Amino acid sequence: MNDMELLRELAQETPLPAPAELDAARARLAAAIATAPAAGRLAAVPETPMDQPYPSTGQPVEPLRPPAPVLSAGKFMHAGAVSSAALLIVALAFSFDINAYQLTLLGHHYTTAQLSHLRPLIITLAIAFGLAVIALWLWMARATSQGKNWARILSTVLLGLATLQLLGNHGVDQVFFAVLTWLTGLPAVWLLWRPASSAFFRQCRQAARTRQP
Amino acid sequence: MRRRRGSAAADDAAVIESSRREPERFAVLFDRHAPHIYRYLARRAGRQVADDLVAETFLAAFAKRDRYDLGHADARPWLYGIATNLVSQHRRDEARQYRIRQAAAAEPEVPGHAERVAADVTAQAMRPLLDAALAALPAGDRDVLLLIAWEQLTYQEVSRALAIPVGTVRSRLHRARTKVRQALAGTDAGATYEELTTNE
Repeated sequence: MNDMELLRELAQETPLPAPAELDAARARLAAAIATAPAAGRLAAVPETPMDQPYPSTGQPVEPLRPPAPVLSAGKFMHAGAVSSAALLIVALAFSFDINAYQLTLLGHHYTTAQLSHLRPLIITLAIAFGLAVIALWLWMARATSQGKNWARILSTVLLGLATLQLLGNHGVDQVFFAVLTWLTGLPAVWLLWRPASSAFFRQCRQAARTRQP
Repeated sequence: MRRRRGSAAADDAAVIESSRREPERFAVLFDRHAPHIYRYLARRAGRQVADDLVAETFLAAFAKRDRYDLGHADARPWLYGIATNLVSQHRRDEARQYRIRQAAAAEPEVPGHAERVAADVTAQAMRPLLDAALAALPAGDRDVLLLIAWEQLTYQEVSRALAIPVGTVRSRLHRARTKVRQALAGTDAGATYEELTTNE
């Protein structure tokens, strides 16, 4: 057995992919084909529907499937939603034990009597804020998996805001929340700007243009 | 055994030519070659990266189809050339792939290990050495070696794929094989390998 035969033997450990493993690549190529200008198609190109049959298989073209980095980013965002929900529950559980010395609102210290009066408002605001954060995570995860480029940009802006929040916080609970948000958001945003992700968003944009009348 | 020689490969150029008028036709080329291109990319850069790279390969090929030389019936060298260029942008993934395989193949050091290896020289036993040797090769030499050894391209096809003269293909292959042999011979397992190869 010489070195070339050894190499071939090594290569045989990698099997050919199952057809389903190529679906994502096939869908990306189909989207590019659907948007390509062709000599014989001319004006028909912009009207090419995305659900036209895939020529080699006769199967309808599925919506573009996101590549691995976008799927991973979505998982991070769902993890962010779960952690935000957990933090909201913890915050609500402890809200009944809030003492005046623990609360500083807009730079003012409040007495116990004032705090007792404000508690329903504080709890309402905390729930609204917590639910908004959870909704934001889920919305970004959904929109990015659908190839919405604005969602990628908005996610990046939100990460920037989270970074500012990280720098501006002092309380242990606030820092914990900010760090958790940032550590979940950073990898998600990084994955959304990987070359494969950029190609996916670009193709989704092109595909969306072709669907417009 | 070389795959797809003859009539099945012969009309790649015809498919590409017709895809210039009817882009949908290009999908035929994908169905024909994507599994093998995917496997090549998976071997070199890992399955996760291969998912994206195989798509990038065919998207690039589709974008460049107008420049394809229709004088070449078989499009495989062209596709492998694009794929190899993409791998070159993922050198770290490729290096990690070799490290992963080395780690997976490495056996624990136990008494009698060397004897067992000597008694059971197989590709499996040589695998970590091969992976280390491949990882240490210059990128250009490795491209040539793997296209020939794994994908069974001819010198002329590798020349087309990498846009280098056939003479360069030969010299790179010679250099790469020499280094691989040296790497294999520099160990206990390699010594047994040397005995086997000289007794062939």
